[in-house]
This record gives sequence, C-alpha cells and structure tokens, in this order.
Amino acid sequence: MGIKRLLTGACIATMLMGMGAQAEEMTRERIAVGITETIQGYNPYGDAVVLIGSLWCKVYGCITRFDFEQGRMVPYLAESVEPVGERVWEIRLRSDWQRHNGDPILAEDVVHSIERTRNDPNSMRQFVVASIESTEIVDDRTVRITTKEPDATLPDNLSLLPVTSKKLYDAYGQDADRNHAYGAGPYRLVEISIGNHMVLERVDDHPMVSPTNPYQIMYRIMAEPEQRVTALSNGEIQIAQGVPPQLVARVDELPNAHATFANSVEMMFLAMNPSTHPWDVKEARQAVAHAINREAIVAALLDGRATLLDGPVGEGQFGYDPDFRTPYDFAPEKSRALLEEAGLSGVEIDFYTPVGRYTTDRQIAEAMVPMLEDAGFKVNLRTPEWATLWANVQAGGVPFYYMGRGQMLDPSRALRQYFETDGSPRLDYSNSEVDRLLQAERRTFDVDQRVATVRKAMELITEDAPAHFLWLHQMAWGVADGVDFTPRPADRVDGWEIHIRQD
Amino acid sequence: MASYLVRRLIGVIPVLLMVSLMVFALTQLAPGDPVSMLVSDETSAEDRQRIVEAWGLDRPAPVQYLSFLQNAVTGDFGSSFRYREPVLDLVLARLPASIELAIYATLLAVLIGIPLGVLSAARPNSLLDNAGSLVGFFGVSMPNFWLGILLILVFAGTFNVLPSGGREPWGMDLPSITGFLTIDALIQGRFDAFWTALRHLALPAIVLGTSMTGIIMQLTRATVAESLREDYVMTARAKGLSERVVLWRHAFRNALVAVVTIIGLEFGALISGAIIVETVFSWPGIGMLLIQSITYRDYPLIVGLVLVYTTLFVLVNVLIDILYTTIDPRIRMK
Repeated sequence: MGIKRLLTGACIATMLMGMGAQAEEMTRERIAVGITETIQGYNPYGDAVVLIGSLWCKVYGCITRFDFEQGRMVPYLAESVEPVGERVWEIRLRSDWQRHNGDPILAEDVVHSIERTRNDPNSMRQFVVASIESTEIVDDRTVRITTKEPDATLPDNLSLLPVTSKKLYDAYGQDADRNHAYGAGPYRLVEISIGNHMVLERVDDHPMVSPTNPYQIMYRIMAEPEQRVTALSNGEIQIAQGVPPQLVARVDELPNAHATFANSVEMMFLAMNPSTHPWDVKEARQAVAHAINREAIVAALLDGRATLLDGPVGEGQFGYDPDFRTPYDFAPEKSRALLEEAGLSGVEIDFYTPVGRYTTDRQIAEAMVPMLEDAGFKVNLRTPEWATLWANVQAGGVPFYYMGRGQMLDPSRALRQYFETDGSPRLDYSNSEVDRLLQAERRTFDVDQRVATVRKAMELITEDAPAHFLWLHQMAWGVADGVDFTPRPADRVDGWEIHIRQD
Repeated sequence: MASYLVRRLIGVIPVLLMVSLMVFALTQLAPGDPVSMLVSDETSAEDRQRIVEAWGLDRPAPVQYLSFLQNAVTGDFGSSFRYREPVLDLVLARLPASIELAIYATLLAVLIGIPLGVLSAARPNSLLDNAGSLVGFFGVSMPNFWLGILLILVFAGTFNVLPSGGREPWGMDLPSITGFLTIDALIQGRFDAFWTALRHLALPAIVLGTSMTGIIMQLTRATVAESLREDYVMTARAKGLSERVVLWRHAFRNALVAVVTIIGLEFGALISGAIIVETVFSWPGIGMLLIQSITYRDYPLIVGLVLVYTTLFVLVNVLIDILYTTIDPRIRMK
C-alpha cells in the first residue's frame, strides 16, 4: 500500500510539474540561441572569444566586417577603409548611422576604441591593435591610422574592434559599458547575466535589419551538448551551436528541427617543432604526413563532417587555391621508406593531444597512433589537461601535437605566428623564403597580388611540412523549423542573417 | 551556548587560513596559467607581460598570498581574472542559486530517505525493505552527470514536461529580494513564478538529492533497526504503546542524532557535489562558476569560492551541533 501511494504520488507530481510546460516556445518576436562559450561581462574588449567578440560587433558596430558572400572584408561602420600610403590607412565613417541614443559615430570614437583596446586594464584584445603605431583625427568622420610597418591585414583586425563612445566613456568611465551601452550596430544590448546569458534587441530603423529578423535574441550558455539538443527539441532554444557528431542524427530526427553545417575556419593540424629531434629532419615530418589516413579518420570518427585541407586554408578563406593539392597523400610505404632513409626507424616520439577541446580529439589522436607506428615511429600518446598543454605549447615546450588554430578567415596573422621566424615559440619554425613571402604579403595592398603571395608562402610551408594540415571541421548546428538560418564559418550568429518565417 | 558559538566561529578562522593557503599553493603548483588561458592566441609577448604585471602574477607567490590575506581581512577577495568583477560580488550573486538547489535537494532526500529508512527497519526483509535497499544502492552508486543527462533526455526531451536547465525562463521578470526565487515569488504573491521556479528546480534537485536519499535511507534503516533491539523499546512495547509510537517516538528519535549528523555532512557535500549538476543543467550557481574558474586558472575566484564552500560547510556543522541539543536534551554545548 505504501509503495502504491508513493508511486501514485510521484506520477501525480510529475504530471503536475508538467502542466504548462515549455512557455519558452519561439514567438515571431524572439528566439534563443544555445551557445557553448561563457560571457565574461560588459566590457566589449574584455573577451578574447570569437563568438562573444562578434556579439559586441552587433551591438557597437565594428569598422569592417567579413562578408561571407563576397569572401572578403567590407566596410561596416566605415564608409571606406583605404590605404593612403605605405603605412597609412584612412578610415571614413558613415554619416547615415547613429548610436542607439542618437549620438553620431565620430572619429574620436575610433581613436578612443583603439586606445581602450590597447590600454584598458581589462582588455584581452590587444592583438587587434598591435600593428597600429599612431592615430590622427582628420575631421569628425575621418581617421588616419599609421601602422608600425606596412600592414595589408589592418582591415581584418578592424573587424574585431567594437567602436564605443568616447563621450560616454569620459562621462561614466567603465560604467558606460554596463549602463550606457549605446552602439551603432543593428542590435542593442538589453541584458547580460555574467556567465549565463546575453539578450540583444533589434534596432528597428537600422538599415541592416528587416522585420523578419528576430526582435530579441537570447544567447544562452549551455555547456552540455545533450542539454542544447534537448532544449532545441522542446522549444527552449531555436538555434543550437556545436552539435557533436554523435548527436547530429538525433537532431535530424527531431520533428521540429534539423541539423545544418558550416565549415569552421579553424585549421586542424599536426605540429612538428623542427627545433626538436626527430622533427629537425624533414623526412621524419614528411613521414608523418604520409602516414596519416585522413579520409579514414574523417569517415569513421567525424561521420564525414570535415573538409580535408591541402594547405593551411580551405574554400572561402583568404588565399585558398582550388588548384593546389598537398604532396602528402596517404602512403604508408612512402612513410616507412622516408624514415628508413633518414635512419629513424623505431624512433620514439611523444604525441600530445588535448582532450575535449576539439571534436573527438582524443579518439582522433588514438586512431593516429597505430598509423604512426605502422610508419616506424614508437609513439607515446600524452593527454594532459588543456590548460597545461596550452601553456606548454605557447612556451614552445611541446614537440609534436594535434591542435587547431581558429580566426583564419584571413590567415595572415596565424601564418606569421606559426611559420615566420620568431613568430612564436609554439612551433619554432624558420625558413628564410617563407619569412620573405609572409613579410611581402603583409606589405602588398593589391588584393590579387597579395593572394598570389600568400598562396606561394602556403605552398612552401605545406611542402616543408613543419605542420601537417588535416581538415576543417564542419560544425553542426541545430536549427528549429520556422527559422531560416545558414550558419557561417567562424561561429557567427548574426541577427540580420536569422529570419523567422511569417507563415 | 553563546560562548560555544563564539568559540566555534573563532575556530573557523584557522580553518579558513589553512584552506586558503593550501588552495593558493595548489593553484600555484598546478601547470598552466591564467594569462595563457584568457588572452587571445595572438597576443604579443609584451602585452602578455603587461597583463601578468597588472594581475600581480610577476610577484613571488608568498607576496601574492600575503597581499591576498591583507585584502581578504577587509572583505576584498580581489577581482576575477576572467570576469573582471570583484570575487565577492560574483559569489554573492550566485550563492542563493546554489543554496536554494541544495535545500530543495535535501528536502527531497529527507522526505524520501527517512520514511523509507524507518519503515524498512520496522519490516526487515519485507518487500518495502528490499525496495528501500534498492533505492539506497541506486542513490549511492548513480553518477550525478549520468543521471542528470538521463533525466534531461526523458523529462525535457521525450515527454517534454520539464525544462532542460537554467533557473528561470526568459522573461519571468521576478524582482529579486532574497535571491531565492521560490521565496521571492511567494513574498510577492507570484504563484505562477513560484511554480515556474519549482519546475526548473525539479530535475537538478532530484539528481542532487538522489545520492543523499540513498545515504540517509541506509543510515536511518541501520540506526533505527539498532534502536529497535534496545531494552527501552521492549519496555515501551510492554507498556502497551502502539507500534507507530514505538517506532517514531522512541526508536527513530534516538536514531535522529546520527541521521541529523549525516544530513549536515551531506548538505555540505551537496553544495560541492552541485558542481557537476550545475554544469549539466546550466544552473547559475557557484558550482558552475568554480568549474569555469578552474578551467581558466582564475586564481582569485578559485580561492574565493573554495573559502565560501569551506565556510558553508563549517556553518552547517555548527548548525547541526545546535540541533543536537534540541533533539537530545542530554547534550550540552560547552
């Protein structure tokens, strides 16, 4: 009797709890997006995370933005961004856009934003303005920026620079971010709950938005993928970022949502530090490149959801060459021959991989071990915690590792960081010809010429094999029916690209 | 009683000092550093160095620790590297969420675990006893994260009767008074909000309370069963008291000290156990904050949060000591 009562009570309780379930269904006015990254706070310069940075560009507006249709940077808050000398760029601001409180966007705001990015004690985005030597206000709408050396990648950097108001900062200090976050972007900031969510609201008279764009968007942090998918299924959220391969089929089976894919712009690669043995021997690096069966890994572990790379970049990224093919096909016999030729058969190597940082990273590394051993390496797989591994990689203490490098819409900064002499200790690679080409591409303002130079540098790097370029993950997103959203590379979830169907 | 409380509270100070020293030392010894984790991949060495200096990480560890202590005495636990907000503000903003979850989980565990344990003890080897044992083993052995995901899939996914996570739905708009949503809702007469908050609490509280239920049930069963073999129970029965009175007023009351002790200990463990549950359910409490702070090597936040956990644990134990005197008048606070 007691058990019966208990069970009956439990059933009634569950049914009662269920009454009125799911009040958070999509309306024509607002949607929720389940994201994986945490939200640091109100300071638009305080977060190095790409997705969060792009949210601030929606609120404040950035000087340029990447147009995925055109495959290049286009002016955003600026009317034009043009080089007017070898080291001087002129930015002309739009006159037809205003801040959400009606204030104009001024040249002094651009200078203020550059200074804040550089000097704000809470800024984590100093790299964005690292190449800038000085700024000069020409008139209310015109700024001249002088770079330390010729820098054709400046427009790329300026796409990461939210333009905040000098007037409001002078009046309110850091409090301006929290209580006077008036930007000139198509969405205004409504609310932030640190570490939980961020709510943006459409600016109806902004030229970039249309009535079918959601009026409000909540970016809700949901670290657990099962939760994101479940929340998508029951209508708590309408877009789910980062659906892992094992859950894609479940999303596709949902009656109210589907999975959709976008290439990431994060190159996945095997780094081999040439200042360490045996990676100082080119044949050893080439042996690795021939040993890895990328097709098999992508098919078996990534469910086919990755695009193989022939160099550091793939389709849609700056400098991609559709005619270039990597010289390193899967050829275990070539691997063995190369190692034997170098007298390195049986050489012991430590192979490091992060765990849980990238899609099925550990499983991928585990699959690579027998491939490398088949080539003649004796492999010790190391799986340190991410913070430990990352600190060691940045310090140059890891000779051979599986890793990703994001923010590569324009690969210039990444190529410099990994492959230019003294770019960073993480690979410690040096090749005078690569140095020459990378320096030249940064000085080349003609886009076609620059593409040609970047391509040449990337071909050389690929052939010399300090890194073996593997693939770009195809990132899966879950999207509710009734919402039109094509995910973009680089984790962009821009409100003006989301449309709620009106039928 | 008052002098006992004062002594106990003064006794917290060396505990906190020891804990802070240990946590501080461990964070320093752990590989990885906050600057690597928080700044962009592309930040120059010079900018990194500037951040290291701004955060005081260039100073020797003992100097950093002493500086922390000096500020902590005035209630300043520093600012989080990750969130750039005072640690105390961050913790206080999230503490009610964790405590509210722990209270509901404890309530659930007590309401199920104690009756089940007492009744199982009263009817050993019965169907109820076997079912109770099963609940006990299930509760103790079930991993929180697994049970959490399972319940999300079943109740938020398949049946779609409960939310998958979070503390409140978008747009509930309940002004905060105490920080405890259910209490705030009742104070303001917002029964719709109370119900909604309760629905959000349901799954995480069930998961968090499951292992506690198992422990309470098993301990209650064992102590009540032992009490039932005592002479005073035989005397009570001989006096003609009903079985219900014997069981609940005599046997259970004598077992209560042990049960309350375990509830106290478990409540403390529950708050720290919530780290996993809060992550699975995106529950905006201090558990999730701790996970994030460890990932990013956010030293001030790690130390601040561990100190809060320690303080809560000690305070709960002081509360349990006070409860002893109510339960058993023979116990005196000296």
